[in-house]
Amino acid sequence: MATFEFKLPDIGEGVVEGEIMKWLVKPGDILVEDQPMVEVMTDKATVTIPSPRAGKVMKTVGKEGSIAKVHEVLVVLETEGAGSAKPAPAAVTPAPAAAKSNGASETPVRATPAPVVAAPRAPTPAPPSANLEGVKVLATPATRRLARELDVDIRGVRGTGEAGRVTMEDVRGFAGGAGVQSTGTYNSQPIPQLRAVSSPATPGALEERIPVRGLRKKIAEKMALSEAHVVPFTFVEECDVTALAEARERITKSGIEVTYLPFVMKAIVAAMKKHPTINASYDEQANELVVKRAYHFGIGVATDAGLTVVVVHDVDKRSIRDVSAELKRLSADARASKSKIEDVQGSTFTITSLGAQGGVLATPVVNYPEVAILGIHKIKETPVVRNGQIVIRKMMNVSGSFDHRMIDGHVGAAFIYEVIKYLEDPNLLFVEMV
Amino acid sequence: MPVMNMIEAVRDALKLEMERDPDVVILGEDVGKFGGVFRATAGLYEQFGADRVMDTPLAEGGIIGTAVGMALYGLRPVPEIQFSDFIWPAFDQITSEVAKYRYRSAGQYTVPMTIRTPVGGGIKGGHYHSQSPETYFVHTAGLKVVCPSNPYDAKGMLISAIRDNDPVLFFEPKRIYRAAKGEVPEGDYTVPLGKAKVVREGTHLTVIAWGAMLHEAMDAAKMAEEKGIDCEVIDVRSLLPLDLDTLVASVKKTGRVVVVHEAPKNNGFGGELVALLNEHAFTSLEAPPKRVTGWDTPFPYTLEMEYLPRAPRILMGIEETKNYVA
Repeated sequence: MATFEFKLPDIGEGVVEGEIMKWLVKPGDILVEDQPMVEVMTDKATVTIPSPRAGKVMKTVGKEGSIAKVHEVLVVLETEGAGSAKPAPAAVTPAPAAAKSNGASETPVRATPAPVVAAPRAPTPAPPSANLEGVKVLATPATRRLARELDVDIRGVRGTGEAGRVTMEDVRGFAGGAGVQSTGTYNSQPIPQLRAVSSPATPGALEERIPVRGLRKKIAEKMALSEAHVVPFTFVEECDVTALAEARERITKSGIEVTYLPFVMKAIVAAMKKHPTINASYDEQANELVVKRAYHFGIGVATDAGLTVVVVHDVDKRSIRDVSAELKRLSADARASKSKIEDVQGSTFTITSLGAQGGVLATPVVNYPEVAILGIHKIKETPVVRNGQIVIRKMMNVSGSFDHRMIDGHVGAAFIYEVIKYLEDPNLLFVEMV
Repeated sequence: MPVMNMIEAVRDALKLEMERDPDVVILGEDVGKFGGVFRATAGLYEQFGADRVMDTPLAEGGIIGTAVGMALYGLRPVPEIQFSDFIWPAFDQITSEVAKYRYRSAGQYTVPMTIRTPVGGGIKGGHYHSQSPETYFVHTAGLKVVCPSNPYDAKGMLISAIRDNDPVLFFEPKRIYRAAKGEVPEGDYTVPLGKAKVVREGTHLTVIAWGAMLHEAMDAAKMAEEKGIDCEVIDVRSLLPLDLDTLVASVKKTGRVVVVHEAPKNNGFGGELVALLNEHAFTSLEAPPKRVTGWDTPFPYTLEMEYLPRAPRILMGIEETKNYVA
């Protein structure tokens, strides 16, 4: 018999901790390999972590609602067979990145036998992670190279050398997850100490302090980032969706369940073909406008935890029916905090559906580093003038916000009118369909 | 194989080349009848006569200027600057004329000249007879600058230098003129210029030196071995052109390097070597490259042995570099 310490693996995206949402096992349980053990909510998503080995649960670390840190022990298992008390040797080669955007695996996180630090090799620059951003590390060039080879983000390794220098031993210990006690731990310094704050409201207290973490913290960071970088302007116009409403009604009557949003998304794809710079991001480092050939649309979904942006990939290649079904799945998962990493990242453009409380206009916040966002408002029966007559039509406003550094006013306006053109005459969409 | 010291090896090379090629001529202060203050040219005046072994006035600019004319005329002059500390009056001739003729004439003319000059301290000579000015010359494109550390290399490299169609500054470490002895083949052989030599293989750290300091470095490596430190020692031999590949390969292997030279540290050639190793072996470095050198002072009249980077001081550099935790 041997004991095996399972440590919370690095699931990428700079995530350094997660909240334990629900234990699916308890001490004494006998596990088979790949059996789900625990649900952990990170900044990005809630993931179910399966057991990498069969064995008996000796111990679970952390209560539901507490924070588990990456590379800290989560579960101790008693496993079959003789062996060392230490976890399996560190994988020197990078294991498959914990969560890749395209993988459609059953379990959101594939935990490898030894916790392997596998930073995602994102094709685009990783979004700035608040925790390790700007951390200066003391280390020799050779140690830095070793860290790169072992896929260790050296900024997260606590140095035990002179003046806090990160040594090769520290890096190896970190990568192995085993190592000396003083090594292999995350540098706690740059992580904001929010946990020290008490949360329950004392009766009679004049204020309540709610820890900002998880999704809310991520939203705060994203919004601040947009505010700090983007120079936004908002353009609003009304759109006569009477014809679209009729079309949708006919489709619904035929038994196909579909909302308005997929039509809007298709209209946007068609409009983007004419105005490709709208589907882009601004790479400030390289000073380049990165025009996207993929149409991955982020859709804002209100959840109990806060606003989540789920991503429908390849909108241009999917049917309206398919987009509709995908939207339904993504929203349900988001509301149940079950989104997979790939469901919430990779967007090239964002849509915020303002729903029943849609108002007249809004100033949507550009999802930085994207350059544009579109808000769609409530459809209202409104008296309008057509051919000198006042008639009642189904009207909907659209509010587009653009990063004025990249998108000129007339371009943004032209894009909005192009979207409206397709929404007012959905037959035109057929012409643009792939 | 006969055993020779450095001076005998140099003299043997000169004699052989003068016998082989009638265009080879020697000129300098006291090189003729007297046979050179270090006896490097002893017997050559008698053998080859005053037309080929010429005593000159005490005017280094004149010696090198005359040699430039000889070289352009088609001879292979081997001028001697009696001490490299005296080379400065000839600095303009060397850097402006000797080094540049090939470039300036678009290759029409070359200057096949070998300037021999004793270098370095350790002979109680004070600052006029002890300095190491190699750095001033390795900064000059068009020159070759070499410095052997043993009799075998001294003879083989001097023959290569004389046969080279471009100018070579041949620094002879005077402290080991007689101290360094070794087997030297009789007759003709060459040691190529531009090639460093791994003198001792090791795994923990690389020590780079040349000339007289190579021996101090080897002594330090032996002392380090007793402390369990396995040093690789490289004799640079040719400073310009530099055999960077050999240095880089070694530092990539060991990850740590100590550079040793007699000249002051400030802007010394060690600084260039460290910069090159940073550029070419950066990600292999496990410790800051270390320089163990002469001090940034004039070469002293007293405390000469404290000025020179001798083995105990090199050992301290080795230990510091080895003990740096990467």
